[in-house]
Amino acid sequence: MALIVAGVIFAPVAYFIVDSTPLTAIGISAIIVGFTCVALANTRPAISPEACQLILKTGMENTGALLEELGLRNKAIYLPSEMREGRPQALIPLVEENDIQKVRGKIPGRLIVRYGANPGDMAIAVTTPGSINIDMLESQPEPTSDGIEAAITYILTGALDLANSVSVSMTDSIINVEVSGARLHYEDIWYYRCLGSPVASIAAAISCEALNKPVRIKEEEFSKGKSRIVLEVLP
Amino acid sequence: MRIYNRYILALVICASLINVVLAFWGQTDLEVYFTVNIIGYLIITLLYVYLNPKAKRALNTISFVLFGCFMVIVTFKVMEIITGR
Repeated sequence: MALIVAGVIFAPVAYFIVDSTPLTAIGISAIIVGFTCVALANTRPAISPEACQLILKTGMENTGALLEELGLRNKAIYLPSEMREGRPQALIPLVEENDIQKVRGKIPGRLIVRYGANPGDMAIAVTTPGSINIDMLESQPEPTSDGIEAAITYILTGALDLANSVSVSMTDSIINVEVSGARLHYEDIWYYRCLGSPVASIAAAISCEALNKPVRIKEEEFSKGKSRIVLEVLP
Repeated sequence: MRIYNRYILALVICASLINVVLAFWGQTDLEVYFTVNIIGYLIITLLYVYLNPKAKRALNTISFVLFGCFMVIVTFKVMEIITGR
């Protein structure tokens, strides 16, 4: 606002009193930049970042407690919205080492679900930060590395402001996602071990939605300000 | 650096460069400064496609207003050329 006021005062003074066109132009530029700053400031969410962090932590701790109580250590499988009645979700198999290839067709929209024909093919289906963020995309991401990169960049750097840049490469059934300047790092907690960090969760949810196939976070590491996430695309 | 800071910084650097270059070039027409500044603003805003939808809507409103001003200047210039005044 101060920039606008300064520009509004400075531009006429420079034009009529000082009689300098370049100084008047600087005043006009200050007004334009000032209005841009005001517009951007008004688009920030009404809830403070501290409150958002509190809500995120509460949700993660509750889900983490549930996973810990059930003793689940399996890596979650991210399912596209088509397999999960409208919203992509993560499936955590209740029994260790289950043939993941069995995940077929639509999974009912409940907490405890059956994903295969055998009695042991049971899992819990949970909503992750990635699942919610899919709604922010303006269109379905394209099933290419460029399409996935554009969608993850849009969510992580633009909509959520969680990272500086994202690069994606895809080889066969492996997707490598490199996130620079990520502001939410991996922690060695139960929730992250099962579902991945929020950044990895977003990358996995977008990838599974783009490819329309189940995806699992295979690896996640953080070094020198960069997060490296390896996703496995399941057949 | 966050995307919003980078965007504002890019705008400030672009506007400063345009004004300094035009001043060194000896340009004294305020309309030229104004139109070149608007073009710079529109280009940088277009380059930042990853801003969140709310921010993009707000910036689009400013872009429309500036584009309107730009069109007014262009219309006046065209009329000047046509009428020969």
